Parts: sequence; C-alpha cells; structure tokens
Amino acid sequence: MGAALEGDGSGVGVPHGSILVEFGEAMLRGDAKRRESAREAVHAAMGAAAMVDAAAIVASFNAVVKLADGSGIPLEDFKEQATAGLREELGLEKLNRGAG
Amino acid sequence: MAQASAFDPAALAIRDGLARQCSLAWERLASAGTWWTGAERLAIAAEVRRAHACGLCRRRKEALSPYTAEGSHDGPGHLPLSIVEIVHRIATDAGRLTKKWLYSMFESGVTEEQYVEAVGVVALITALDSFDLSLGLPQRPLPAARPGAPSRHRPAGARRDLAWVSTVAPEDLAPGDPDPYRIHGAKNIHRALSLVPQEVLNFFDLDVELYLKDHEIRDFAQEYRALSHVQIELLAGRVSALNGCYY
Repeated sequence: MGAALEGDGSGVGVPHGSILVEFGEAMLRGDAKRRESAREAVHAAMGAAAMVDAAAIVASFNAVVKLADGSGIPLEDFKEQATAGLREELGLEKLNRGAG
Repeated sequence: MAQASAFDPAALAIRDGLARQCSLAWERLASAGTWWTGAERLAIAAEVRRAHACGLCRRRKEALSPYTAEGSHDGPGHLPLSIVEIVHRIATDAGRLTKKWLYSMFESGVTEEQYVEAVGVVALITALDSFDLSLGLPQRPLPAARPGAPSRHRPAGARRDLAWVSTVAPEDLAPGDPDPYRIHGAKNIHRALSLVPQEVLNFFDLDVELYLKDHEIRDFAQEYRALSHVQIELLAGRVSALNGCYY
C-alpha cells in the first residue's frame, strides 16, 4: 500500500509500476511536456487500451474525492480500523481532526 | 504484448461501455437536475473550469489555512457568489473543507439540496475533463443546455446522521423515492449524494466504467481491464494520495 503513496513505483513488483506512478504524478502535478511524455510512456509500454484505462483511473479518483470531501461522509468502520495506522503515518488524521 | 507506436490521442479507441457513459454524462450535465436547471448545471461546470485559474484559489491552496487568504474569486459568471465559493473550494481544495465552512454556506442562502447537487456536478465535470486531459485530448466546449425544470423532490427518509449533509440510509428509503443504491451498491461513498438520488446514479454510472463495478473491485480471479487489479490500485492509490483523499 505504501508503494502507491510514496516513491516512484519501481521495485514493488507491479508490472510497469514506475510508468503508472509517473503517469499519475504527471497528470496531477506535471506541466504539458511531462504529461505528454507520461502518456507516450504508458502507450509504448502497455498499449492503447491500457492508456485509456490509465486515463480513466485518473479521472475516477480525481472525481470521487469531491464526493467524499464535499459531503463529509466518513469511512466505513471496517475500513477505518484497517487503515488507521496508515492514515496516521501519512498525516491524514491531522486533516480529519481539523475538519470538524 | 503491447507494441510501441506513435501516440495519437485522437486515434485511441474508447471501450464501448465507457464511451457510452461519457456521452450520457455530458447529456446529464446539460439537462435539468433535481434542484438546478440545465443552464445552471452548466454554469457550475464552467465555474469548475475557471476555478483552476483563479488567483484567490491559488493563494488559498498555497496558504497554511485556506481561511487566511482573502479576496474575490476571479471571473465569476452568472451564479450567486456563495455558489461560486462552493464550486471553487470543492474544485481546488476539497481536502480542506470543514463542516463549519459548509454550514456558513447554508446560512448564506444555498440550500442543502442545491449544495449536494452542485457537488455531483463538480465531480462529474471533473471526471470528464480529467479523462480528456489524461488522454491528451483538448478540453471540450460545454454542451448547450437542455430545456426542462428541476424536479425538486427531497427523499422523505433523508436525515443528517452520517455525513455533514443529509443522506438516505438504505433502510430509510420511502415508497416513491428513487432508489440510488439498487445498481451500484450502498457503501458510504454511494450515500454521500443520496439526498439527491439522481446525482448518485449520474456519478456512479460513469464511475463504474472509469474504474470498476463494485463486485469487480475485489474479484481478483478475473481481470476486467487492460490494467490488472494491482496496476489499477497502484495508480488509484497515487492519485488519491496526491489529492489528499482520506476516503
């Protein structure tokens, strides 16, 4: 799980992990040149269908956060318990405590 | 085996189901909702696009607290200022919204129902624009508004007991109220917009094609996309982290 949140995605055993992580970083934080390079890398390594799916995942997770944050909906209890340590480690609990 | 070839975003083939839901989402964006007209929904979508270049939003994003940066949002269009504030905050800094801020918006005259539908519209245009941007396609012009009046129906079973806004628990669905859970499930994230049931369907009809259907998410025996489950979760986790998403 930590690999999804930190690092460049290499060495975590996910095929083309570093290319996908760079794709996500470029779409959210990159300039036009970096985005173009990231798209070309996904397309060259994984093909057109994977390129479409990667774009779709970025779109989904860029949008769903609006529902969660905009409504103040809490995590389900079982998810909260399962991710408590990780959220504390990432500092997300500080955000939640400040959101009351 | 994937083959390296020249990348032309306009030549990419979009899966049938995804293409169909994108097309439907654009139509829904321009159509009358439950509390906003089609023209008003498009004005909200246009404001989302403006927010990304807004100077006040940029200063707030850079500030330790968004409440220390003062000023006006750039280029407000045809919406009341309180709606502009809502749309810009959700579009650019959703992770630092607070209940106190939200209730101050209600006190300024925006109704809870209008707010929830606005959240749905922000999410929908964010998904559609993010998809095009990620593919390398140019941003589409917003469509023309479709005629029609909002239905203005509040579910009888809506209560403020789980989230900052009222939601409808599956067990509180009343006869005659639209069921927002029948197709996509009833996890908390599906409840988020359930005060305006059509917005749940508008978002998740598209989202299950962008991501995965609820039952597919943990079906590791089968792959449903050109990306594997583990590749999807790696990318999804990174995007969520960059967005500061706690959910």
